[in-house]
Amino acid sequence: MRSLLGVAALLIVGLALSLIVSEYTLRLLNLAVVAAVAVVGLNFAFGYAGLISLGHAAFVGLGAYVLAILTTKLGWSPWLAAVPAVIGTGLAAAVLGYPLLRLKGHYLALATLGLNVSFGIVATNWIDLTGGTNGIANIPGLTIAGHELSGERPFLWFGLAVLAALALIAAVIHRSRYGRAMMAVRDDETAAAMTGINVTRMRVAAFTLSALYAAVAGCLFATHIHFISPDDFSYAHSITHLAMLIVGGEATIAGAILGAVLLTFLPEWLRVLGDAYLAFFGLMTLAILIFLPTGIVGLATRWVRRPAPPQADAAIGAEEASRP
Amino acid sequence: MSILRAEGISKRFGGLLALSDIDIRVEEGEFVALIGPNGAGKSTLLNVLTGLTPPTAGHIALDGRDITHASTHARVRAGLGRTFQRGRLFGRLSVIENVMTGVANRPGRSGRELRELARAQLARMGLERFAEHAIGSLSYGNSRMVELTRALACEPRVLLLDEPAAGLNSGEVEDLMTRLRAISTERRLAIVLIEHNMGMVMRLAQRIVVLNFGSRIAEGTPAAVQADPAVLAAYLGEGFSHAGL
Amino acid sequence: MADFIQLLMNGLALGSVYALAAIGFVIVYSATGVVNFAAGQFVMLGTFAGVATLVNGGWSLPAGYLGALAAMALFGALFYAVVYLPLRNSPAVTMIIGTVAIGITLQNAALLGFGSWPFRLVSPFEGMTVDIAGAVVPVHAIAVVVTTAVLIGLLWLLFNRTTLGIAMRAVAQDLVAARLMGLKVGALLAFTWILAAVLAGVAGLMLGPMWFADVNMGDPIALKAFAATIIGGFGSLPGAIAGGLFVGLTEVLGAAYVSSAYKDLIAFGAMILFLLLRPQGVFGERIQDRG
Repeated sequence: MRSLLGVAALLIVGLALSLIVSEYTLRLLNLAVVAAVAVVGLNFAFGYAGLISLGHAAFVGLGAYVLAILTTKLGWSPWLAAVPAVIGTGLAAAVLGYPLLRLKGHYLALATLGLNVSFGIVATNWIDLTGGTNGIANIPGLTIAGHELSGERPFLWFGLAVLAALALIAAVIHRSRYGRAMMAVRDDETAAAMTGINVTRMRVAAFTLSALYAAVAGCLFATHIHFISPDDFSYAHSITHLAMLIVGGEATIAGAILGAVLLTFLPEWLRVLGDAYLAFFGLMTLAILIFLPTGIVGLATRWVRRPAPPQADAAIGAEEASRP
Repeated sequence: MSILRAEGISKRFGGLLALSDIDIRVEEGEFVALIGPNGAGKSTLLNVLTGLTPPTAGHIALDGRDITHASTHARVRAGLGRTFQRGRLFGRLSVIENVMTGVANRPGRSGRELRELARAQLARMGLERFAEHAIGSLSYGNSRMVELTRALACEPRVLLLDEPAAGLNSGEVEDLMTRLRAISTERRLAIVLIEHNMGMVMRLAQRIVVLNFGSRIAEGTPAAVQADPAVLAAYLGEGFSHAGL
Repeated sequence: MADFIQLLMNGLALGSVYALAAIGFVIVYSATGVVNFAAGQFVMLGTFAGVATLVNGGWSLPAGYLGALAAMALFGALFYAVVYLPLRNSPAVTMIIGTVAIGITLQNAALLGFGSWPFRLVSPFEGMTVDIAGAVVPVHAIAVVVTTAVLIGLLWLLFNRTTLGIAMRAVAQDLVAARLMGLKVGALLAFTWILAAVLAGVAGLMLGPMWFADVNMGDPIALKAFAATIIGGFGSLPGAIAGGLFVGLTEVLGAAYVSSAYKDLIAFGAMILFLLLRPQGVFGERIQDRG
């Protein structure tokens, strides 16, 4: 019920904005929606299962490249091409996930980072297929019932619908036994196995789900911009996705969307600072991490309810003392 | 037939032989205590039985099925349950959601059924009023009971308890003992208990297995083990008062 | 053969720079548990500190080098106070994002200060070469290898023969115990960051004449340093050295003999293989997650 209300709020705010803001802001909103789809996906891997993935942009890129290649080289419709793009990316994540996800913490972070860098190297150098640094241009846009989603505004409506649907699905998964199992794995892997959860499979499932969302974001990106190149999917974008999730806060779907919007618009708001805007962007992000450790959503929930005082620590102290 | 049977279990960590050729059998519905001085290998044995630590040698069978190489989650689904020395609940899930992860083991249950079954498990343990609470808001005693409930929700046939009474006050220990005794008889559940509280061990256990330096040094009824000179020596070596015999 | 020797020396020189960057990264990781994603920008800053003193300031070589390294030491202390201290109790991933954020700031601050036009930092051995078995080897490359070797020797002495270094190792192994022993943990951690920044400074000053000094040079260096650390063993100093040399050699030799387009894929492929097959790397002993 709460997630339905959240999605309704998202659609209403999005539609209202789409009618009043400038063409340039519409374009940014579209980029924010595409990023939000990717970040809602990343929330499965990082927010729920605790996997520090610095390779999310590679999956966005894989989805985008498959769609771009099938549409421009083979003349497929983008709708049709999106199917193998998304499924293929999910399969790639599952296959890579089994060996990679045995790694934890910093090791997994650096392994996925290496994966992202390797993706970039291949995309840059497999020129016959990817066009190298020149990228792939003239990717066709999506058409619905004969109408092409050509302007920024129609695309935003479509993007919002996709984001709303994917956010709802994510909310359903979150509340299902699979969502619980992913969070159990993050909280305590050993205890999770001891309640019969297949830890490896849950990790791979979370990673694969996140890649599926990433691929959808990639397809949206390719059909929106009509042009892709390796730079669009560099590991810097993976880190941005993670930053969006953390700035949004508390491993929630709402946080993922808020974080994506905020970090898409923040650099634009800082443009008044002229050439220094990116330097300030870094400082602002650092400030948010320091002063809002639980993100925007954490700030909001702290206003609503005060958390119960943790008693576990005191009790553990008592346990030590009571040992004979 | 024994419900749990481990034969010739050895575990070597580098140069240290943590477990040496241990045999252990548990019958259906039986209450067995595993005792020994600190560092005797009790927790290591539990880790080997649950598949968290692979043994260097030996075989384990659950209900006649070899599970020596089975993964932890497969053992749980085959009927092995366990609690940990320090409560290990999932901090981001509510009390009932913690129990639901255990109930979810059996296939073909709807989300609604999972919630109802978990609620029933909590009610059985007198914890129903905490169902929607956050883990962080529980008292230490209650969090240990929730962990036990979660383990029971997996519907085990053998339950391994690693110092369940540690840190509990005397009222809570009494309550725990009553519940364990009832659980063991009602559910025909075999229980293996690691415990330093000797009063509890003597009152609950039908049979006691004593480990020292990774070897089984004695086994028998509480009365027999209490009188065993080898056991006394093992505890004396470490300080007699420690054992609380 | 002559070609090979020349490539080998260039690879060793480049590898030495990566090794120094990796050592700074490892020292910080061992002591603080922080994976410093701004490590590449540290090296970039070192190069541009040299640009500021030597090129823009027109200082003499020794004064310019000393000035640049002093600036790096100051920067290390600042980084400790502004980034590490406020975030030290945050989850690992927050620290990762924090160091990335500050890396973005550093890169763009350098862009503001120096512009996007690349600089050329002159070597003290500019234009000098020696002939080794028919190969023409720049003296700068030899100097880089020798300087790195000397620095590694000094680091070894620091960590094994001085009270300061032993205290630093104690802090790295067990922070709480070190505090209980009465060690000034805060000062030791600050010194760790300063040391890492100065080493990055040396790496930057040596790299300046080998590459063009470009404000975007940080990320590629950081990635190579990460690869070096994984291959050598996370948290291991000998590992950082071996890994750095390996990455530098594969980059130079791979470009010459395999494919210049895919030269970087060798190092990263090796890194991923190590992660999958031997995550503790060549020299790593412990494999545990400090996260």
